[in-house]
Amino acid sequence: MNNVSPIISFLMQQGVPLDTVILLLMLPVIVTLIAFFRQVVGIKAFGIYTPAIVTFAFLAVPQLRYGVIVFISVILVGMLMRFALKGLRILYLPRVAITLSIIAFSILALLSLGGYMQRTGLASVSIFPILIMITIVEKFVATQIEKGNKTAIILAVETLVISLVGYYLASWPALVRGIVAFPWMILITIPINIFLGKWDGLRLTEYMRFKDVLKNLK
Amino acid sequence: MFEEFKNARKLLGLNARNLDYIRPYNKKKAKRLADDKILSKRALKKGGIPVPKLLAKIKSAEELENFDWTALPSTFALKPNRGFGGGGILVVYGRKKLSRKIVQAETQDMPDPVWIKSDGSKVTVQDLKSHILNILDGAFSLSNLPDVAFFEERLTLLKLFKPYAYKGIPDIRVIVFNRIPVMAMLRLPTRESGGKANLQQGGIGVGIDLTSGVTTTAVLGKGKIIDYVPGTRMLLSGIRIPYWKDILLLAVKSQEISGMGFLGADVAIDRERGPVFLEINARPGLGIQVANLAGLRERLERIKGLKIKTAARGVRVGRDLFGGEVEEEVEDISGRKVIGTIEKIKLIGRDGKSVEVEAKIDTGAGFTSIDIDLAQQLGFNDTVTEYQKIEATYKDIEHLSKQERWSIYKHIPHLESTLVINSASGSTYRPTIRITVVMDGVVIPTRVTLINRAHLKYPIIIGKRNLRKFLIDVNK
Repeated sequence: MNNVSPIISFLMQQGVPLDTVILLLMLPVIVTLIAFFRQVVGIKAFGIYTPAIVTFAFLAVPQLRYGVIVFISVILVGMLMRFALKGLRILYLPRVAITLSIIAFSILALLSLGGYMQRTGLASVSIFPILIMITIVEKFVATQIEKGNKTAIILAVETLVISLVGYYLASWPALVRGIVAFPWMILITIPINIFLGKWDGLRLTEYMRFKDVLKNLK
Repeated sequence: MFEEFKNARKLLGLNARNLDYIRPYNKKKAKRLADDKILSKRALKKGGIPVPKLLAKIKSAEELENFDWTALPSTFALKPNRGFGGGGILVVYGRKKLSRKIVQAETQDMPDPVWIKSDGSKVTVQDLKSHILNILDGAFSLSNLPDVAFFEERLTLLKLFKPYAYKGIPDIRVIVFNRIPVMAMLRLPTRESGGKANLQQGGIGVGIDLTSGVTTTAVLGKGKIIDYVPGTRMLLSGIRIPYWKDILLLAVKSQEISGMGFLGADVAIDRERGPVFLEINARPGLGIQVANLAGLRERLERIKGLKIKTAARGVRVGRDLFGGEVEEEVEDISGRKVIGTIEKIKLIGRDGKSVEVEAKIDTGAGFTSIDIDLAQQLGFNDTVTEYQKIEATYKDIEHLSKQERWSIYKHIPHLESTLVINSASGSTYRPTIRITVVMDGVVIPTRVTLINRAHLKYPIIIGKRNLRKFLIDVNK
C-alpha cells in the first residue's frame, strides 16, 4: 500500500484491522449496488439484506467457487425439503427448523465429500460464511410458501447474480486502492441513493414486460 | 430507440407508481384500512356499497379449536385478512354428500363435513385447520405479520361469464385516481390460477373500453397477449360488461370511502345481486396496462389536479376521456334504450297488482296485447269474466257501427275501449284495458288488448306503439 489516507492510518493505529476497515467502507458500495439493481435494472432478489450478506460471505471464503457451491447446495436442499415436508402438514417455524437442520447435515456431508475428493479448499471454508448462507434459507422458504417455487428460484438466482457482481466489485483492486487512499469517496453513495430514490422511470425489466404496450403506443 | 424512450414516459412503472402516486396520495391510515379486508368491508358496507357477506372470522388458534365447522355453508371463500395478490385464498364449491350409511345410522355426532375444491380435490376440516393456522401465522400477509382468517360468501357466476371463466368468479378491476376511473380490465380465472382472478396467479386480464364497457385486448398471466380463452374458441374481445356505469360508480364511491387518492377497485357481478364490491387495493398491479395496451401514467397525468365534485361526474369524465376505441354507446347518442327481442318486464295493473314476465318484442304489431290469464292476475278478473260472457265473433258484429258495437261492451267494468285488430290469422275484435308497462327502467302507461294467448310461448307481446323510446338489438 503506497497511498494510505490519514484516516485509515489513524484507524489502524487504534488497532482496527485493515480488512475490517475496508469491508465496513465497502458496505455502502454494495448496498448502493443492490439498490441500483432494484430501482433501475429491476432485479429484486431477496431484499437488501440477503444479497449484501451473501456478498460478504463470498468475500470471506478463500475461493469464490466454494462459496457458490455452498450457496447452490443450500438452496437446492431447501427446495427438496419443501417437497419432503409437504405431506407432514406442520407449521412454519418448525418446518424451517427441520429444513435448516437437514441443510446443516448436508453441508457437513458436502465438506467431507470435498475432503475425500482432495478439495481441501472446501473444508477450509470458515464456519461463519457457511452459517450465513444456511440462514438465508428462511427467506427462500418464506418466498416459496408465499409466492410459489418458481418465484423463489428466480429470486434465489437473482440474489446469486447480485452477490457475484457485488463480490467482483468489492474485490476490484482499483476500487480497494481508491477507498484506502480516499475513504471519504464513499460519501458519494449518499447522493447516488437519493437519485435512485427519486428515479421514477421504467426499470429495464419493465421495458421487457411492457414491450407489447410500447409497440402499441403512438 | 428515442421514440421508445418517449413512449416509456406514458407507462407507469413500479418506481413511478410507488413514488409519484402511492406515496403522495395514499395516506398511511387509508392504506391500513385497504389492507385490512374485514375492516374495509365494514366501512364499504356502511357507505352503502354492496359487499360479499362475512360468514365468520377466526382470530386465534383457540377460536380455531372451538370453531363449529358444520355451520359453514357448502360453498364459501376462505381468505387471509391481510393477504395480497390473491395469495392464501381457498375457495370451495360444494360439500361432499354424506354416505347413506352414516345418514341412516343417525349418530349423535355428525361427521365433519368435507368440501370440494374447483379442481375436484377434497378439502377436509383438517386441511382447513392447517391452512387457517398458516394464515394466523402470517404466511400470506403483508410482511408476514400474524393475521386473521375469515370466511366469506362465495358469489354466483353470471351466465354471460360462464364460457370464459374456469371455475371461480371473474371480477372487474378499475383503477381510480382523483375520483375518475382511469383504466379497467376484466379478470378471468384460468385453470392455472386455480379459480382466482389475479394476473399474478396466472389469470387472464381483458382490457375494457371505459366509454362503452366493451372488452378490447387481453393478456394471459403477466405478459402474454392472447385473443381467445386458451384451449377454446371463445373470443375475448367484444364482451359487453353488464351494469357498466354502476360498476364505475361503485369504484369511485369506494375511493371516496377509503380516503385513498389512487387505488384499484375490484368489483364482481353476482347472478342475483348484480355488482358486488370485492376489495380495495392500495397497490394495484401494473399488468392492466398490458391488458389494455395503453399507458396509465399518461392518463393519470392528464387528470391530476382536476376538481371533481361528485362520483357521477368523475365517472362521466373518465368515460369521456379514456374510451372511444369502440363506437360510442348507442344509448347515449340516441337517448334511447337498447333492448333485445325478448325482455323481462314488469306490468302494473289495478290496485297496485304487479307481475313480472318475459315479453316478446314484436315490431309487426301495433298494439301491445296480453293474455287473458295475465289480465286476471293484474286485477281485471271482472273484466275478463264479463267479456267472456259475450260470445260474439268478429263476423257477428262486423256489420255494426262503432257506437252499436260499443253499446254491447260498455257495461263491462274497467274496459277502456274496443278495437279491431287485423293480424295474419285474420281480424279479431278485442277489448282493451289500461295498465302500466315497465321495461328496462322506462315506465309506459298504455292501453293493451286482451286475447287468449294460452297456446303461445309468451303471455305478452309489446307492439310498436310502446316501443318509441327503444332501439331493438336482435343480437341481445
